[in-house]
Amino acid sequence: MGRSKLKRMMPRIAINALVIFAMVIWIIPTLGLFVTSFRSASDVASTGWWTVLTSPLKFTQFTIENYQTVLSTGGMSTSFRNSFTITIGGTFLSVFVAALAAFGLSRLNFGGRTFFYGLIVMMMVVPTQMTFVPVLRLYNKLSLSGTFFGLWLVHTGYGLPFAVFMLHNFFDSLPDDLFEAAYIDGASVWTTFVRLAIPLSVPAIASLVIFQFLFIWNDLLVALIYLGGHESVAPLTVRLSSLVGSFGQSWHLLTAAAFVSMFVPLIVFFSLQKYFVRGILGGAVKG
Amino acid sequence: MKRSWLWALSFVLIAALIVPSAALAQGTVTILGVWGGQELEVFQRVMDAFTEKTGIKVQFEGTRDLPTVLETRLAAGNPPDIAAIQGPGQMHQYAERGALVDLSKHLDMNNIAADLGPAWIELGSHGDGFYGLMIAADLKSLVWYRPDQFAAKGYQVPTTWAEMEALMEQMVANGDTPWAIGVESGAASGWPATDWIEDIMLRTAGPEVYDQWVNHEIPWTDPRVREAFEVFGKIVLNSNLVYGGPVTVLSTNFGDSVNELFTNPPNAYMHRQASFITSFIREANPDVVIGEDVDFFLFPPIKEEHGNPMLGAGDMMAMFNETPEAVEFMKFMASAEAQAIWVGGLGKLGTNNKIDPAVYPDDVTRAMAEALNSAEVFRFDGSDSMPSAVGSGAFWEALVMYIGGEDLDSVLEYIENAAQEAY
Repeated sequence: MGRSKLKRMMPRIAINALVIFAMVIWIIPTLGLFVTSFRSASDVASTGWWTVLTSPLKFTQFTIENYQTVLSTGGMSTSFRNSFTITIGGTFLSVFVAALAAFGLSRLNFGGRTFFYGLIVMMMVVPTQMTFVPVLRLYNKLSLSGTFFGLWLVHTGYGLPFAVFMLHNFFDSLPDDLFEAAYIDGASVWTTFVRLAIPLSVPAIASLVIFQFLFIWNDLLVALIYLGGHESVAPLTVRLSSLVGSFGQSWHLLTAAAFVSMFVPLIVFFSLQKYFVRGILGGAVKG
Repeated sequence: MKRSWLWALSFVLIAALIVPSAALAQGTVTILGVWGGQELEVFQRVMDAFTEKTGIKVQFEGTRDLPTVLETRLAAGNPPDIAAIQGPGQMHQYAERGALVDLSKHLDMNNIAADLGPAWIELGSHGDGFYGLMIAADLKSLVWYRPDQFAAKGYQVPTTWAEMEALMEQMVANGDTPWAIGVESGAASGWPATDWIEDIMLRTAGPEVYDQWVNHEIPWTDPRVREAFEVFGKIVLNSNLVYGGPVTVLSTNFGDSVNELFTNPPNAYMHRQASFITSFIREANPDVVIGEDVDFFLFPPIKEEHGNPMLGAGDMMAMFNETPEAVEFMKFMASAEAQAIWVGGLGKLGTNNKIDPAVYPDDVTRAMAEALNSAEVFRFDGSDSMPSAVGSGAFWEALVMYIGGEDLDSVLEYIENAAQEAY
């Protein structure tokens, strides 16, 4: 009996082993980063992080000095505030505009709708770097460069193609009958959007928020180009990158900085994750 | 209702965010640079001193991705007032395009000439104009070693290349490894080896040929260039002469490689690197006293007729916007007062010859400053003077290929092809 049971279990064991193996491979770099962030500069320079595995309980080899240095850098609270301003504004604006656009393209009947949808989705293949010079030139004329509002707009622009694509597919998958019934009851287009489409697509919107939040929070280059690296406007990423000297001196501080910066997206991710898997599948099976 | 409340809020937010940035105008100078960490702290002191003296505010923006940001800002029409650029190579490119302000129209050139010395002015000149102000220098022709270990093993500091070769032989015979080399540096991997080639080139072919090579008046396939690569190859490709052999050279970060001198017993006995390496040594080995536990000697001359030229690099500032505030700042950076703060804090070498040697943090730095001032011939880092497609591109890559074991002829042709497009 035991044998046949084992035989039935074999595929599952194999799959689990494979999954665990993949997870371990995936997590090793992050683990290494985490261990390194608690080691002193001279240890980091002389031995690899894995050497602590031989004596993991020897607590004297660990130090929180890196975190202290990172957090006590001048202007850290300003850069946290800047990062929040940029990310919350940028995420809100892009998701809001994308929802309206996707709803229009998916639920309203007008000529050239497929063409416009195709045009927006095509924008996904345009490299961000190509747009820097023309957009920055425009921003200088409108004196938008160096403002948070300007950065919200570019992040909205860069995020829109994917956001519209994702929400469009989700709106498409909502049953038509629901909207017809609403129209018969005298609902306006706006009402169906606010009362029907939005509540039904909370999972899709939540996962879009996670995507956008991570993208904008982790961005360095776009902020550097449009906002500049000055302390009063620089987000966390820009501030943290200046902890390192021009020849890469003090790079060990970046390990701690990475975890400081990772902290906020992790909170966002875990608080929205129950929607996340549902949202990723959103629009995947179109009816 | 709810919706109108939301609109009102967003308008207030937008207004609040646009207005403050518009106020940034009078009495400010904006500077773009690559400095971070300790460098940024010291530069902040320079900026504070400037603000205190003139009342002009300074806005510093730091990014290690300076070429990208600067290029984009220039193309979009809002460059910073002043940028700390990579060296003469970049300066020539920008000056050629008319992006830079000629400093000789704004600064008293007689004063500058009295303060800076002709070598620095020549480095910053393009055509008839003066565009790049060298505010500090790093000396590159240095070999770091541990005097106590040399004494214990009976090794002598070499003063000629023949003595250097004899020393290497002696070390190998004793079972010691002479050199520690590391060329890994992320996307810039290979650059530490370009300094080797430049130092050797200066000593085997002489400064005139070196200049022709930097300006691409002789091809990369020239036998004199080839010779410099071969001298370097003799060391770097030989596992007896360099710790760990070529594989370790390629995979070790340049800042970490010097640490092989401080193991017990030392994995290697010599390390060729610029003056800035002391900041890496201090960071990784807090107990080491620079000047006592570790010291430098000058990279020895190879061919007698070319003497012992000094290779160096430095911090160059160029002005992109013609504002009175920016001119004031450039004037300040040329002064001994500003440079003393900058070089004193970082152990760099000042270009203003009125700097009091007492500002240097230690005897080692004073000795380097003396070596720099007494050098008969000084040349700027060649790779920083070439167009970036070669100097910070093909040249770096080619050295990684060469150390990786590729054939020297194809490596030199690879750079030559890139150079023919870039010049």
